[in-house]
Amino acid sequence: MKFICNDCQEVMAFVDNTPATDGGSLTISYTCPACGRTISMVTNPGETQVVRSLGVTIGHEALGSASPAPMAMIREALAGQDATTTAATGPEPVWTEAALKRLSAAPSFVQGMVHRLYTDYAQQKGYTEITPAIMNEARDALGMTGM
Amino acid sequence: MSKSPQPDVLGQVLAQREAVAARLAQIKHVVAVMSGKGGVGKSALTANLAAALAMQGRTVGVLDADLHGASAAAMLGARGQPVVVNPEGARPAVGVADIRVMSMDLFLTGDDSPVTWHHPGGLAADTFVWRGTMEANILREFLADTAWGRLDNLLIDMPPGADRFETLLRLVPNLSGALVVTIPSQVSHLVVRRAIAAARQSGARLLGLVENMAGLTDGEVTRELFPDGQGPAFAAEVGMPYLGRVPFDPELARTTDAGRPFVLEHSDTPAGRAILSLAETLEKILEQK
Repeated sequence: MKFICNDCQEVMAFVDNTPATDGGSLTISYTCPACGRTISMVTNPGETQVVRSLGVTIGHEALGSASPAPMAMIREALAGQDATTTAATGPEPVWTEAALKRLSAAPSFVQGMVHRLYTDYAQQKGYTEITPAIMNEARDALGMTGM
Repeated sequence: MSKSPQPDVLGQVLAQREAVAARLAQIKHVVAVMSGKGGVGKSALTANLAAALAMQGRTVGVLDADLHGASAAAMLGARGQPVVVNPEGARPAVGVADIRVMSMDLFLTGDDSPVTWHHPGGLAADTFVWRGTMEANILREFLADTAWGRLDNLLIDMPPGADRFETLLRLVPNLSGALVVTIPSQVSHLVVRRAIAAARQSGARLLGLVENMAGLTDGEVTRELFPDGQGPAFAAEVGMPYLGRVPFDPELARTTDAGRPFVLEHSDTPAGRAILSLAETLEKILEQK
């Protein structure tokens, strides 16, 4: 979209944009390079949100911003609706030989999944290694049976 | 007044597409499993097909594109694993047979949590437009941000209906192809026929037709469920290869619901053999491209 200054017949230049405080609309300003006249247009809030739903940033939030975090859009959209997303913390714990032996007794098609679940549990608890005792603890905490 | 730089919306959209392409570059085959018709057992078939491919030594991922009917995590035993987000991406859950899973289900903590989107502007107007774009972009985010790692096969379990398939094709222009699932009923054929036509108009490669719930098995005996089912003839009518029929086994429903795809423990049954055969056929077709 372009705007023409009627007096000067010049294409007006984009100057600035400002998001409204409710996050639903955007004020966009243009100026005439010849006479300096400035105009502002205010977008319809719905239109602004449709653009936002493309997963892009607009207005001042876009200027100088880094790439969005992974799954940023889905996490924002689910805000307040029990979205569960946690960041990994600490180094991954080491599996002891005894724990690996016990893991190998599980059916082969669940070993990878169980390995992940117990590793995540130990990592969240700050354990540096996984032993059969910690497997017992994780099994009880996670409500798993027979592992 | 100083001039501010303009936010580069087009540049951001192009960067999003590049991010999808970069992520999928590590995946050998991306296959959509679609139907057009709901209730044909597409998700259960996807889970079992993924398990069969894993049994054949493939590294497999499943992306659950059915945002409002997400079931892949449950069927693959991956529920309850939180999505861990690092700067490099979101780690998929690991299900049975080491199948990597990404699903809306993993973002919701409770069984009663509905999938409803927080609308930043708090507006009711234009919601249907906003919602459609939003959900298309969530699919894009699943594709671009999931740290799948190297995969032989990524199966995308599509929601019922044909519209989301077109979205997928725009995001993944080099999609390896689509498997089309039907059941042997005339109503299913009618709906699936339209979905096939829509997919064809989008320029998708259609890999073949699978007939699910084709008979009911009791041990080695299979009896027909749908008297009018003529899968091979239907496949010929719509100009697609007929990849086979998978009979319904009550045990398949029970085990898959429990998060252990049937084929893992019942590979030597009519349904198990059919699923394994389908996986082998799919691999051959994909290698031929």
